Amino acid sequence: MSDIFQFNGAEGSGWSQPEPMIDGATDTIPSLLRRSILPRWPRASEPELVRHYTWLSHRNFGIDTGFYPLGSCTMKHNPRINERIIQLPGIDRIHPLQPEHQIQGLLSIFYEMQEMLEICAGMDQVTLQPVAGAQGEFAAIRCIQEYHSSNGESHRDKVIVPDSAHGTNPASAAMCGYEIVEIPSGEDGRLNLDALSAAVGDDTAAMMITNPSTLGIFEPEIVEAAEIVHAAGGQMYYDGANFNAILGKTDPGRMGFDAVHYNLHKTFSQPHGGGGPGSGPIGVKAHLADFLPSPLVDREAAEDDGSTGDGYRYFWRKPAKSIGKVQQWHGNAGAVVRAWAYYRRYGRELELMSEHAVLNANYLRHQIMNPDSDKHDSIHSMPLDGAPADVVKHEFTLSMMPVKETTGVTGKDVAKRLLDYGYMSPTLYFPMIVPECLMIEPTETESREVLDKFAEDFLTILSEDPEVVQTAPHNTDVRRVDEVLAARSLVLRKELDE
Amino acid sequence: MDQLPNLGREQEMLDSMGLKSIDDLFSDIPEEVCRSDPLPLRGPQSEEEIWSDAQRLLSVNIDLDSRPSFLSAGLARNFVPTMVSMLATRGEFLTSYTPYQPEVSQGMLQAMWEFQTMVSELVGLPVSNVSMYDASTAAAEAITCAVRVKGRKATQKGVVYVSQFVPPHRLSVIENYTKGVGIELRTLEHNMDGRVNLEAAAAAAGSCAVYVEQPNAFGELDEGITQLKQIIGEKTALIVGVDAVSLGIVEAPGNYGADIVVGEGQPFGIGPTAGGPIYGLFACKKDYLRMMPGRIVGKTLDEDGKDAFTLTLSTREQHIRRHRATSNICSNETLIALMGAMHMALLGPEGLEKLALRVAATTEATKQAVTSISRVELVDPETPNFREFAVKLPGDAADAVAHMDAAGVLGGFPMGEWWDSMSSCLLIGCDERTSQSDIDALLVALSSWVEEVSA
Repeated sequence: MSDIFQFNGAEGSGWSQPEPMIDGATDTIPSLLRRSILPRWPRASEPELVRHYTWLSHRNFGIDTGFYPLGSCTMKHNPRINERIIQLPGIDRIHPLQPEHQIQGLLSIFYEMQEMLEICAGMDQVTLQPVAGAQGEFAAIRCIQEYHSSNGESHRDKVIVPDSAHGTNPASAAMCGYEIVEIPSGEDGRLNLDALSAAVGDDTAAMMITNPSTLGIFEPEIVEAAEIVHAAGGQMYYDGANFNAILGKTDPGRMGFDAVHYNLHKTFSQPHGGGGPGSGPIGVKAHLADFLPSPLVDREAAEDDGSTGDGYRYFWRKPAKSIGKVQQWHGNAGAVVRAWAYYRRYGRELELMSEHAVLNANYLRHQIMNPDSDKHDSIHSMPLDGAPADVVKHEFTLSMMPVKETTGVTGKDVAKRLLDYGYMSPTLYFPMIVPECLMIEPTETESREVLDKFAEDFLTILSEDPEVVQTAPHNTDVRRVDEVLAARSLVLRKELDE
Repeated sequence: MDQLPNLGREQEMLDSMGLKSIDDLFSDIPEEVCRSDPLPLRGPQSEEEIWSDAQRLLSVNIDLDSRPSFLSAGLARNFVPTMVSMLATRGEFLTSYTPYQPEVSQGMLQAMWEFQTMVSELVGLPVSNVSMYDASTAAAEAITCAVRVKGRKATQKGVVYVSQFVPPHRLSVIENYTKGVGIELRTLEHNMDGRVNLEAAAAAAGSCAVYVEQPNAFGELDEGITQLKQIIGEKTALIVGVDAVSLGIVEAPGNYGADIVVGEGQPFGIGPTAGGPIYGLFACKKDYLRMMPGRIVGKTLDEDGKDAFTLTLSTREQHIRRHRATSNICSNETLIALMGAMHMALLGPEGLEKLALRVAATTEATKQAVTSISRVELVDPETPNFREFAVKLPGDAADAVAHMDAAGVLGGFPMGEWWDSMSSCLLIGCDERTSQSDIDALLVALSSWVEEVSA
């Protein structure tokens, strides 16, 4: 295998630069501080590197490569106009500390996004500063913490999460110093109000929950849950990871939530980039607005038309009791601009996006769970629904337990076999309450033909020789990777010769 | 609507499921929470219209390249090689998720393993993660990581010393990340000349960690920091925040005892982008490995004995360890780190040194020019600078910036916005692209302001 450190050409052969403006600029740097040995980076030219990274890209699977039904991650198509826009100097070559009058266009986009997100979630004030969903959770829980403290209720030291919650929920609350109370789901996978009632008390700071749940089903008793938490003096936090399912149909405000985060990299098409960047704005009801991270964008009527021609002057505003900052600048502005371009495509018709996301999920679930008789006869064993439901929202879970019991083929085996068929694997073994779980989210940007073909291939895998499935993948760049060896014998960098 | 392949075919799909209408798909949402009215938002636009609006609104902004600009404060007005964005936006990289399925993600995994190696070489420490959100969250999580590692044996329980000259916007992030978990931040004092007070630093021995920046908020390099580890001892972690480019000429902190090194990766790979997405560097000694935040790639073998890469040490992470995780970080800045890796590889060792020399040269040239103006004085005349330096003006620096702005020069950052006591100080930032004509323009603009206030 070749790696980048095999390029070791002549000094300076890679990329030329102008000469330093003056000589002797480093004379004032004490010798103790001067670097004696340069980092052993590769010495590579542009043609070599272009080929290297093109080769690496061929060994990587993205949405552009094929269907990516990764539950809970909303891997929808990323429109290319987004990438073109963020190359414009009016965003790429902007410093976050420039005077307000120099960045009115950017501030107006921020304002429009704040307002749009407020409307979509039924919240009173949004900030765009958090740069990932998990950071949004952290920032909002910090606001709730300061809110309780300002009411003389800092004794509230517990945050409630359902056992089906995303791992970031308890991790974010723990980073604020909270003790986590995990409540069990009911047998039907839904929120258990009895368990919730038993868990709340005058030590409850907040409950964190997503709706639809990680099982892809809408929690019908969410309003009652909010009443229970509020009656105990706690705050309701909405994890917006599954917002793609309900936009325009309902909103967290109506359900009784006090705070919410959005994932612009899920719902609003910021590309996932192999693990980031993301963007995780938060929205809150009025009673929490004073605590939001600083600054957010506000506006006032301008004397003239304003620089953007809309009659307003935009400015940064610091909320009165702000928790301060969670990212040192103004968040991932580039992601916000991409999401803005995406929003503009739909405008008030955003609900179409959710309708098609839910249509596709239900359609795919139906195609998988209702094979025609020919197909059915050859299948060793069918999966079970992760949770009983007439309709699901944007995603659904399957338990591969019956398959495992009949043939020994695990959920992981099926996931790996799907790679051979040219698909990304669904989310595996999450939520943990569903045994041998596969979580499938097709998103609205897949055609019926892709969904039909996927269902057919999925069912074919269930009828294949178990041995073939258990030893998958067979056609990928590497075969099943030894993760135990990786963790036991850590090789975290290239060893280089002196 | 051009993003929905099944538009117009909803009914056939519903029919095949035995459903009547789209409403049936949402019948599980209780009526009391249903939205009955349409979203009060503007109408949909075509790609063409979106592009026009984006061009119109973003062209209202004044970009840094359109005028002489001396605003840095921790971000670089860099030049990113053309190759970088063209390759990083290849769909296979751009549209992939976190590489949980290594068999079809070897490309990004290998690129991140190479990134880890280059960062490790840059800072002189053996372990690097795949990125943090930015320098501020990298610093904050370095502190919480150090407390986890050093907390038990520390004689000053839960105490961390933070340099007095960390910029307030970064300190604010550190405060948020440490407040809830009961970490007490104390100030590591500096001398009048800007350098760390090494005598006072002895008080930090036995605490969990010390966090300093090299260069500090004034762009000042301090050789005293190379002695800090000896002063605070093995029981206390030394965390150093760096200007990544400076490490082409300034000693790697790993070589003078730093346990964790953090910094802004942005100068490598991406423009300032209004403050994000950028990426934070995080590297550490092996003792910190199991307590560190973020994704890490390891090299291993596949079933056939072929070399392969995979995410490793995931048992530290939120999706496995939940509330006992070392951090809540999930999405990070992988794509920007990839861009950084490409940029670093193009520079190579000598290219990095040259880049650092270019920044040092423009810093020194600008410093000489600006201090030739009468009544403009260096805040710390004896201290060497990299990228930035602070000058004391005969008046309010915000006023000077406004005056220069009117003359078409972005003259720096008025430090009163950070510290009230420094309202007459201007932080002037330089970079590899600062030209002689930029410096001339700054000189004219600043001189004319000085003349005005002196009159």
